[in-house]
Amino acid sequence: MHDAIPQARALRKAGDAQGATALLADVVRRGSLDALDYDSVGNLLAGMVEKGQVAAPKLRVRLIGQWTTSFLMPVLTAVTWGRRQPAVVTEGSYDQVWQDLLTMQPGDADVIVLLAWSQRLLGDPTRAPTARMADELEFWRMCWARVAELGARLIMVGPDALHDGALGAFLGGGPGGERGLIRAANQALRDALPPGAYFVDLESLSAGIGRKRFYEARGWHWTHQPLTDEALVELAGALQAGLRAVTTGPKKVLVLDLDNTLWGGVVGETGPLGVALGETPDGEAFRAFQAWCKALTQRGVLLAVASKNEVDDARGPFLQNPAMVLGLDDIAAFEASWEPKGHTIARMAEQLSLGLDSFVFVDDNPAEREQVRQALPDVEVVDIPTDCAGYIDAVEAGRWFEAVALTAEDAARAAQYQQERKRRDLQTSASTLDDYLASLDMVGDVRAVDEADLPRVVQLIAKTNQWNLTTRRHGPDFVGGVSRDPRGVALTLRMADKFGDHGLVAVVLGTPTDEHTLHLDTWLMSCRVIARTAEGFFFRAIVEAARARGYRRLLGEYLPTKKNPQVADLYDNLGFVVQERTVERTTWVVELDALALPTTFVQPPGSNG
Amino acid sequence: MSATLDKLTTVFHDVFEDDDIVLTRETTAADIAGWDSLRNVMLMRKVGRTFGFPIDTSEVTGLKNVGALVDMIDRKKGA
Repeated sequence: MHDAIPQARALRKAGDAQGATALLADVVRRGSLDALDYDSVGNLLAGMVEKGQVAAPKLRVRLIGQWTTSFLMPVLTAVTWGRRQPAVVTEGSYDQVWQDLLTMQPGDADVIVLLAWSQRLLGDPTRAPTARMADELEFWRMCWARVAELGARLIMVGPDALHDGALGAFLGGGPGGERGLIRAANQALRDALPPGAYFVDLESLSAGIGRKRFYEARGWHWTHQPLTDEALVELAGALQAGLRAVTTGPKKVLVLDLDNTLWGGVVGETGPLGVALGETPDGEAFRAFQAWCKALTQRGVLLAVASKNEVDDARGPFLQNPAMVLGLDDIAAFEASWEPKGHTIARMAEQLSLGLDSFVFVDDNPAEREQVRQALPDVEVVDIPTDCAGYIDAVEAGRWFEAVALTAEDAARAAQYQQERKRRDLQTSASTLDDYLASLDMVGDVRAVDEADLPRVVQLIAKTNQWNLTTRRHGPDFVGGVSRDPRGVALTLRMADKFGDHGLVAVVLGTPTDEHTLHLDTWLMSCRVIARTAEGFFFRAIVEAARARGYRRLLGEYLPTKKNPQVADLYDNLGFVVQERTVERTTWVVELDALALPTTFVQPPGSNG
Repeated sequence: MSATLDKLTTVFHDVFEDDDIVLTRETTAADIAGWDSLRNVMLMRKVGRTFGFPIDTSEVTGLKNVGALVDMIDRKKGA
């Protein structure tokens, strides 16, 4: 047993439940727990929450399985605390999926995890495999619809089986074989999954450590729980990544050290051409890691460099070494200095307008990792091994960048931040802010939300934290509902300027409170267009849409969070009048005919400046 | 108190989340709050890990009290 467990028990007994949770979360975070210890840690954490010794986490997760989830529950609890997204995890009864969903009330859970097994899919050989597949699909579709009705996000874990079955490995993997059927079912479920949901395929997850270490038949016979202790930790890791994907969205920035992280050796000593890259075994491994990082930029993850080096040394290989895979263009923020890396990363966060909890830090030097871990607890720090061939595995193990959908905007994000850098350079040369904004040639295009926009709109709702008035994480059903409601207002804003296209950057969702009043339930904007008068432009369109539907007044609302103070005064600035102000919520109203429209430097499409 | 019973007590504290449990050879499931069939399996899994041998599927139920469990552990360790 890990020493932290009895220590935490003692702390709890001495009345220091805070200290006990911090200690436990830290050992999970550092990955220093044995697989066998996770359930003790999870039970301790859940016990302190249940007894009110520590505040209950906000995130509520419900496990509902066709296999027994009682063993998974504490392990997942422990992992969520370790990954700084603590959750209260509850479970339904074994194989009572539909009944449990029916007894739940809307709002009971933020995320529902459905875990399928194969007892029916493989259970009745007298029915044709196609019919059994159709039954499964229909059943899960019905469950998913119920999850949406309950207002919860969905994570689906597909079915698997313990054995190859009578047809053996080869034929069994074909059509009608047991493994073939399992694979087809997973694929069909995945394909039918509602937008915004996350899927875990146990066959590929178990492959990571090997099926024989992942499953044990005795567990199934003892309690209908076929996973080993090690497998429970693996699955909990995958589910936690799913929880992040469906709630806050993936991490956004991978911060990299240079010497012995991106290349072998110390560039300040060897010169830009002397570092190990390609040719030697370690050089091959460093190049492979660079290529892996570069591929991340193509899916929308930003790369940043935090190096303790002279700037010229740090940039040297990027500019001169032909074996480099990464170029300076791939790096959204480049910091080479002798400051502690905690400072450097904090400055990057400001520069990129991103929260520190969007950052993942990779450095071969354990001392640097520890400094960042202590200085910036919100930044995730990866313990890469001393062997550079293990870097990719170590970073992948955290599943930091799991997302529910990739959009064209994701792919273009790195380029957008590059443009943003050029824009900042321009900003320093423009004489006044107004000149600068005017010089950007910004064009804004407001449209009603349509079906094709839904994935991007839901994604933006899920991950926007700063310029977000209410931070309500609506799913596709709510957004679709508002857009189809003739009295509803569901608008998007797309922006472009002379440096490039930003894509879809803002969303507003308005619903009627009475005949004359439109309530702005949700209004958010991507940080890429903050401080550009885009909100003024968008607000004009909101006013126009409200008038067109016959409203006389707007009701604005602000729900403060740690991240959104920058919009606390938005409605005051737009000329709204405070209606009610409490710590948790402020509301404003404005009569549409008494409204002065804000100035903006954004033009509608087709206008010539 | 045997060394096995001692070690087993810490396993019980862990599984039942209760550091005040005192085990004797005569303790049965009825004496400990929350000792249901699921918890029994959790207990058996943990006993197997702690003492370093797997509990067979045929042994998972049917022990009449803690004494029987201690004897089983000692037998398996001796074997």
